[in-house]
Amino acid sequence: MFSKRILVFYIYSAVAWSVVAISGCEKGISMGELVPRRMHGWKAEGKDEIYNRDSIFDYINGAGEIYRAYGFRELLVRLFVKADQPDIVVELFDMGSAGDAFGVFTHGRGGEGGDIGQGSEYRGSLLCFWKGNFFGCVFAEQETEAAKEAVLDLGRAIAGAIKVIGEKPRLLDYLPKEGLMERSVHYFHTYPSLNYHYYLASENILNLDESTEAVLAGYQPAEGKSYLLLVRYPDGKRAKGAFERFIGAYIPEAAHTGITQLENGKWTGAKVYQEFVIVAFDAPTRNYAEAWLEAVREKIATQVEE
Amino acid sequence: MRESVKVITRRDFIRGTAGATLALAMGLGAEGRKGVKPARKTRVVLVRDAGAMDEQGRINTRVIQRMMDQGVGALVDREDTVQAWRLLVKPTDVVGIKSNVWGPLPTPPEVEQAIKARLMDVGVPEGNIGIDDRGVRGNRIFKDATALINARPLRTHHWSGVGGCIKNYIMFVPRAWAYHGDSCADLGAIWNKPNVKGKTRLNVLILLRPLFYGIGPHHFDMTYSWYYKGVLLGTDPVAVDAVGLHLFRAKRLIHFGEEKPFRPPPKHIALADTRHKLGISNLEEIELVKLGWDEDILI
Repeated sequence: MFSKRILVFYIYSAVAWSVVAISGCEKGISMGELVPRRMHGWKAEGKDEIYNRDSIFDYINGAGEIYRAYGFRELLVRLFVKADQPDIVVELFDMGSAGDAFGVFTHGRGGEGGDIGQGSEYRGSLLCFWKGNFFGCVFAEQETEAAKEAVLDLGRAIAGAIKVIGEKPRLLDYLPKEGLMERSVHYFHTYPSLNYHYYLASENILNLDESTEAVLAGYQPAEGKSYLLLVRYPDGKRAKGAFERFIGAYIPEAAHTGITQLENGKWTGAKVYQEFVIVAFDAPTRNYAEAWLEAVREKIATQVEE
Repeated sequence: MRESVKVITRRDFIRGTAGATLALAMGLGAEGRKGVKPARKTRVVLVRDAGAMDEQGRINTRVIQRMMDQGVGALVDREDTVQAWRLLVKPTDVVGIKSNVWGPLPTPPEVEQAIKARLMDVGVPEGNIGIDDRGVRGNRIFKDATALINARPLRTHHWSGVGGCIKNYIMFVPRAWAYHGDSCADLGAIWNKPNVKGKTRLNVLILLRPLFYGIGPHHFDMTYSWYYKGVLLGTDPVAVDAVGLHLFRAKRLIHFGEEKPFRPPPKHIALADTRHKLGISNLEEIELVKLGWDEDILI
């Protein structure tokens, strides 16, 4: 009797888990079904490879940390072959949320944007895009005209099969638009990601972790390049603690004012407001930095209240 | 709030007052101790040959063997190839050749075979030679190894700045992710693990077609690789990587027309020197011997 119960439990669990796994992807559709098996003469070959948060390193070595820094759940890899043409590889990542699909897309972008999915980029035979909870990469081992067409059309087909439209993180709404370099916007959670885009410190002086949301954006004021960092903590207490740690470690002389001129002549300032910490890096003038911080605070105040 | 441990911040770089700190954190260990007159230099040998690859990128096996032979000979100051290798490896050694299988830029089989051929010439039985990357921890040869040869291509890396000889040993630890913190700052610590420590006889940093820049996790873009057609050899992995990093800085300067900071900073090279005492990262303490083709040598 006992063993029967255990058996029923396992069967039930397995069924329940598979339902959850499928619904976590796209209503009633598995990840494999989102990816076509043929495109312009290329055919899927071999078995799909599936990786999770632990096994991702087997596939992509240390670069797996990039996905683990977000809510990555599962990766599907499918190989396509065609005679006398380079192999094409499709990678489809279930990032767990639209925000993190967008985030991991912003992590690696560096060129001109495209119109596949909710945002895409093609360069050097590699297409990356995001849509809904998914981040996709399609790449050919070598770029040929035919391979490029197949790569782009595979991307379009996958994006078309993903029906859910994802929402970008709300944090982006608080960024001032004037002078914003759209393609320099990066959304992330942890400090290695911040250090990748803008090396700040060897230690986590802003207390970033999986529970925090952050957006770093580049701005082009009159001259040079400035950066705005906005972090949302789970609560105001954590925000205050992070703010104080940042001031103490980075601009201790600004303990009272929250703003200072660094040795390169540029200004860095920070402000804590509710559960947010706002930091302006490399501003050209004090006024600029102060106005910038205040502009973000006002946007938060207005939009949060709405 | 005061930090209980010394935090290296971006501001330290801006100040420029902490030269060594700057050097460390930005992976520029080569500049960290300028003016120091070393008592003895560690030797690194660069061998280049225009015939190493053809226009399609196909590797010439014969030329690679010759480059490896020249390099090892110059490294240990021996003209006779087998004698030179005998200074590195004994016939009784069990030798693991640690390669790298990363898809777009793996350790070429031609390099692996060139090493294996000379190990056998020295008298190491074929059954005592293993070639592996991801399986090293379960590989009998590597478990029993008395000597290791470390061979991999140089490339930029999304989580450690660059991937070179030091980073290539990450497969020797069970939890690779434990070394991913702070841009893989402590990769040098792996070399002090019992299964590795003191066993490496030769490091080969392959510069046939290095990847000097990349964006995003996939990172491989032919636009940012070039036919350098070289190999860099040394017994000190830190010195070899430091020279490789120096080459990349020179290449990026020419390609982009400005100093392009590595993202993330490859500080693990300098820290392998100063924190883990694995080798020398200061270029002034490295004797770079250059052999062969010198067109666009950059360093």
